[in-house]
Amino acid sequence: MSERTKKWLCRIIVLLALLFLPQVIKDRYFMHIVVISGIFMILCMSWNLLAGYTGLLNLGHAAFYGIGAYTSALLAIKLGVSPWFGLFAGGLVAAFFGFLLGIPSLRLSGPYLAITTIGFAEILRLVAVNWVELTRGSLGLSGVPLLTPIRLGGWSFKFYLEKDYYYVVLAAVVITFFCIRRLTGSQFGVSLQALRDDEPGARSIGIKTTGYKLAVFTVSAFFAGFAGALFAHFIRLVSPETMALHTTFDILTMTMIGGLGTIAGPILGAVTLTFFSEWLRYLEEVIKVDIRLVVYGFMLILTILFMREGLAGILRRLIERFKGGRPVSKGEDKT
Amino acid sequence: MESLFLQQVLNGLIIGSLYSLVAIGLTMIFGVMKISNFAQGDFCMMGAYVALFITAWFPGWMGWVGSVLAAAAVVGLLGIVTERLVFRPLLTRWTDIDIIMVSIGLFILLENLAQLLFGATPRMIPDPFGSATVRMGPVSTSVLRVFCFGFSIVTIAVVQIFLNRSRMGVAIRATSQNRFAAQLMGIDINLVYLLTFALGTALAGVGGVLYGTLFAVYPLMGAMPTLKAFVVTILGGMGSIRGAIFGAFILGVAEALGGNYIAMEYKDAIGFAIIMLVLLIRPTGLFGEKEAA
Repeated sequence: MSERTKKWLCRIIVLLALLFLPQVIKDRYFMHIVVISGIFMILCMSWNLLAGYTGLLNLGHAAFYGIGAYTSALLAIKLGVSPWFGLFAGGLVAAFFGFLLGIPSLRLSGPYLAITTIGFAEILRLVAVNWVELTRGSLGLSGVPLLTPIRLGGWSFKFYLEKDYYYVVLAAVVITFFCIRRLTGSQFGVSLQALRDDEPGARSIGIKTTGYKLAVFTVSAFFAGFAGALFAHFIRLVSPETMALHTTFDILTMTMIGGLGTIAGPILGAVTLTFFSEWLRYLEEVIKVDIRLVVYGFMLILTILFMREGLAGILRRLIERFKGGRPVSKGEDKT
Repeated sequence: MESLFLQQVLNGLIIGSLYSLVAIGLTMIFGVMKISNFAQGDFCMMGAYVALFITAWFPGWMGWVGSVLAAAAVVGLLGIVTERLVFRPLLTRWTDIDIIMVSIGLFILLENLAQLLFGATPRMIPDPFGSATVRMGPVSTSVLRVFCFGFSIVTIAVVQIFLNRSRMGVAIRATSQNRFAAQLMGIDINLVYLLTFALGTALAGVGGVLYGTLFAVYPLMGAMPTLKAFVVTILGGMGSIRGAIFGAFILGVAEALGGNYIAMEYKDAIGFAIIMLVLLIRPTGLFGEKEAA
């Protein structure tokens, strides 16, 4: 068997296992957490594209997420637009805002960029809180419709259980994953990394940094908006809190612990931390102390200080040892 | 009408003096160490808690002044510990992103640790002047606010004198201008870093006591001072102390006037809107120098 077929076989096995997961695990609460972690995977992957691959520290990512959620929810509630269309509309509107935020960010870096993006998200959050006629303010939009059933011939597929949403999220995660992997593995991705490591250098060899930054902001915002719309139709409630700084910090923590700037990192981080935080919630019930965020902060600091490549780095090293020191190419540890 | 305008300007200046205390610390730390400390506001929060406990034992304005000094000392020490444990290991291999994210981790850790230790209930540091008010022509304000304003101005002046006149202050400024040249002149860089971080966080601690006395003390109070201090320092140019002082008063007055004449709900957005406009025109802020490559 050649290396290539082996790789494909691996992928197919993993995909089949993921497809049959709901048949094995019937627990609805468990599936709920799986869906949430899937939505966070998309968010982390899109954030990683900006922060990890391009070196643009966007601390307003929650805004794109919120824009997607509000767009799709409002379209469905006020105009009766199909949620399936809303998912893409949410992504597109977020992408438009991503483009807008990209413009002032072109010449900024470090703390300047961080604060501008925080400001962007905070202003939008305040708009969502205060534009009560449209958004119902801090109460949030409740009663967001579920995804409508799909009919194929005489056979229809309804969406009201967690496992139904699981398939939608799975498809979205797989598509996002391959899009972003394609993007980062291409000439475009290499240019982005050059831009991250040495901007004047990148410009001197003819990389059009301006266009690249705008493009990457737009693409990243699209995926975040899509994830937001998906979240809105799953949880069925959108509140201004989705745009709060803490959402961005959650995304940031997950991506960092998973491994910033790696392809597998955001996925590992999102799964690990979503489940870990559920476990901590259970622990909190027992010991009656809120330790979840203390642990998050502590883990974030330790990751940056001692294992900068995160879980993805650890996994890569394990695989290398397992394969007897043979160097592993970047794509292989993704599953 | 005119008196309302003057009243808002006065309120803005008083709040601005608070902003400037926290912002000077932030801008010093950035100027000397190139650390963007997103946990700055949490040092305010810790200062406020120190004051809360001390004023509970010693009421009156003597206790209050004592609590400010104690807050500066305790928070400065905590700053030293933080610098040693968290930031120092990163300084050899820093990228902007790593430093910002480690400080965000610190921010999450400290505010939630405080919530664990002190509980989430907001508390007040008692007004040492028993909420007396003072009238100055068309405007009036509380004695406490006037006192806070004066106290901030004196603190800023002391810091300025220290930076301009003392040997250590000159060393700090030299390091801020050019780290390598300063090192070649025999300045102990590590000592300068330690002192800068201690001084910067101690200033945040003092600012925190004032925040806590004027508003309320609670574990999550640190986010606001952090964001305001960043807005102020970016407005003035990161690393520039004069810029931070001007920026703080500009922001304080702009917020007070904007909150009054435009919309109270969007008061906290005004600062962000201003810096977005300023950064579009000048990417390094109003008083910032062009960054050396």
